[in-house]
Amino acid sequence: MVIAQILVNGIISGLAYALFALGFGLAYNTTRIFNFAHGAVYTLAAYSFYTSYVTCGWHILPAAVLSLGIAAAAGIAMDEIVYRPLIERNASLLIPLLSSLGLYTVIVNVIAAIYGNENKTLSPGLQPAYTFGPIILTRIQITIAVVFVFLFSTLLLLLKRTNLGKVIRAMRDDPELLSAMGVSQHRVRLIAFGIGSGFSAFAAILLGLDVGIDPNIGMAALLSGAVAVIIGGVGVFEGAALGALTLGILQSLITWRFSSRWTEAIAFVVLIVFLVFRPEGIAGQRRRVDEIAP
Amino acid sequence: MTILELDNVTKSFDGVCAVNDVSLGFESGKITCLIGPNGAGKTTLFNLITGFLRPQNGTIRYRGQDITNLSPWRIAAIGIGRLFQDVHIFRRLSAIDNVLTAFKDQAAENALLAVLTPWRTIKAERAVHEQGQALLAAVGLTGMGHTLAEDLSYGQQKLLSLARLLALNADVLLLDEPTAGVSPARVKELLDLIRQLATSGKTIVVIEHNMNVVFELADWVFFLDQGQVALFGNATDVLGDPDVRATYLGKQEW
Amino acid sequence: MNYLFHILIIICIYSILALSLNLLVGYTGLLSLCQAAFYGIGAYASVLLMTAAGLSFPLAVLLAMVTTAIISLAISVPSLRLKGDYFVLASLGFQMISFAVLRNWVTVTNGPYGISGIPRPSLLGFEIDGLGSYFIFSGVIALVCALLIYLLTASPFGRVLKAIREDEIATMALGKSTFRFKITAFAIAAAFAAVAGSLFAGYMRFIDPTSFTLTESTFVLTIIIVGGAGNVAGPLLGTVLLIAFPEALRFLPMPDAVAGNVRQIIYGALIVLMLRYRPRGLWGEYEFE
Repeated sequence: MVIAQILVNGIISGLAYALFALGFGLAYNTTRIFNFAHGAVYTLAAYSFYTSYVTCGWHILPAAVLSLGIAAAAGIAMDEIVYRPLIERNASLLIPLLSSLGLYTVIVNVIAAIYGNENKTLSPGLQPAYTFGPIILTRIQITIAVVFVFLFSTLLLLLKRTNLGKVIRAMRDDPELLSAMGVSQHRVRLIAFGIGSGFSAFAAILLGLDVGIDPNIGMAALLSGAVAVIIGGVGVFEGAALGALTLGILQSLITWRFSSRWTEAIAFVVLIVFLVFRPEGIAGQRRRVDEIAP
Repeated sequence: MTILELDNVTKSFDGVCAVNDVSLGFESGKITCLIGPNGAGKTTLFNLITGFLRPQNGTIRYRGQDITNLSPWRIAAIGIGRLFQDVHIFRRLSAIDNVLTAFKDQAAENALLAVLTPWRTIKAERAVHEQGQALLAAVGLTGMGHTLAEDLSYGQQKLLSLARLLALNADVLLLDEPTAGVSPARVKELLDLIRQLATSGKTIVVIEHNMNVVFELADWVFFLDQGQVALFGNATDVLGDPDVRATYLGKQEW
Repeated sequence: MNYLFHILIIICIYSILALSLNLLVGYTGLLSLCQAAFYGIGAYASVLLMTAAGLSFPLAVLLAMVTTAIISLAISVPSLRLKGDYFVLASLGFQMISFAVLRNWVTVTNGPYGISGIPRPSLLGFEIDGLGSYFIFSGVIALVCALLIYLLTASPFGRVLKAIREDEIATMALGKSTFRFKITAFAIAAAFAAVAGSLFAGYMRFIDPTSFTLTESTFVLTIIIVGGAGNVAGPLLGTVLLIAFPEALRFLPMPDAVAGNVRQIIYGALIVLMLRYRPRGLWGEYEFE
């Protein structure tokens, strides 16, 4: 049944984007900055993986670990060097957003200048595939699903059961409480950025192995991430995953029914629809200007 | 005549009841003061009246018209003006521009007219400019017209926001702590101004923590506590009430 | 000489874009990432009106302005009530949707192949052919646009926009429907972007979707950030700087594709550096905050 295959493909790509969305959502909830540069970290991770795995012929595991490290380091560096001084200056949240757009442009264009604009495959040749009744799954698709389940549960456990998790959630809901608790907000930001970038890297590597990479994948991931976070509810971590899954399935169906040319546009229509019509977010996020009582 | 009425208005946030089944009315030509401890719901009442918050229950009527669910700009446009506790001036505009923004019925606020009739606009601007300067003078900010609002002292910004409110020419004036931050020398003039406004027929509602001001100004006083009207009467009665003195006044300037 | 005229014409076109975005960003305080979408919609609209409907250039541009302004309502009405960063996202979404439509609605726009053979505009029977004439033509149009925008910003309408930028709540409390003002400003900015698009189409005689991307929107924003916002000088001088300066890059030895990337790297870096160290831009009046 073709539809089953379509759905499964959609779910798998949704899961990969969900990884990104979780990381993105974590950083967004903690820092309240819509961070375009998260997409740059994604691209950076993909290309460092490409360089170590394909160009230098490393084994897949150390290549992945290296990319993770680079991604985390880049994410943290960007926060330290670019965003924190802005926050300290008491700037509104639009300034870091704009700066992140600038950062994204710089990083992605450096990569494009070095590697060129064409799509590069990370796993040459045909992927080993396994049949499950009417559905065929490649090895990489199965890996995506497995990695997702593992990371998702780990993140959930971290957030709900550990002290670190409590602290991160407090940062989202009530940052002043943290200082009262004697925890440095700075530390929490770093950790959130680090984990967020790490998740980005995972998503980048997995999706890269599946469909290849090019300098623009960051924006696609970013926008899927944003849509996912908004659909799932700003402030709800698990919501991001749910949102990404929904988006993945939706895009798969659109591709099948119409053509892949419209998938990105559809994602944006969904984004706008949710921005406009979704009632006040889960955490009571007031999004309309005239709902702020002076 | 009762111009503004609230009937059984209730507003809660996340389970906390900020305004609890409140009914009150404000008369034209009179000054009514709202007093009470912090968190008693006074500013919330202002937010409800001006449309920035919607009550869960109850109605708010202005001149008989139900305004409970109108948007804030429309409520201001029909005649209910407000002085904010956090001044909310236009910081990077000059003082005179702050005031000029408030004047009603400026034809060139319509983009098409602004572009098509520049000469008429210049004339209208001159007229409105004079009125604006007069208002600045009325609050004691003569000559400060071209100073950027952010360069004024807090007290001056307070006065500027009052001048801006006057330019609106609203019938109902909701003043949230108008004397806070204003220098003692200026306070007397401010009070005179407020009294004049009442005499000219406007409905004035004042939230104040300074009991001297309340005693000076108030025709009526509502004492609010925990979202409810605990006491109502004239200034002497309310401020002299033993319960009020015990729970609240002991901590106030008096 | 022709090269110089080329640069000047491009400066005229982009100065209109910059001034129109400035109306939104510098005066009303609205950060929008979809100005290039209106640039593109305006370009395609005027071209189609001229070729398919046979309208003259002035009439086509006028109608393109109206069309683009009306289309702007499709995004402004739903999203202008949203808070700052959500509105930016919505504008980003609109930018991407517009690009997708321009690229995929092949029957109307010819998709990625673009529309070629666009006629030079003709006024009163005279075709504006040479580069020198086109420069004068676009220069005059740019001046007229600048004048109109100046009239708007110096008027009570402009004053309310600035008030909205400073404190939207207080502006509402003065009886102004800030929503209506924002929608109007957005539509006006879109209309002027359409003028720039029409000029661009008439100059290049060929348009395709790649001229109207998010990168382009970001570029116009960079002009505002570098040149400055909130007055007329900032966007104008910013345009001159950001158009003329990268031309110098042309004379550096590097392959064309990489040159494009280097240009973007400079723009991106400028955004980050200016916002950090000089949020008012070089000649602006309004500090990004």
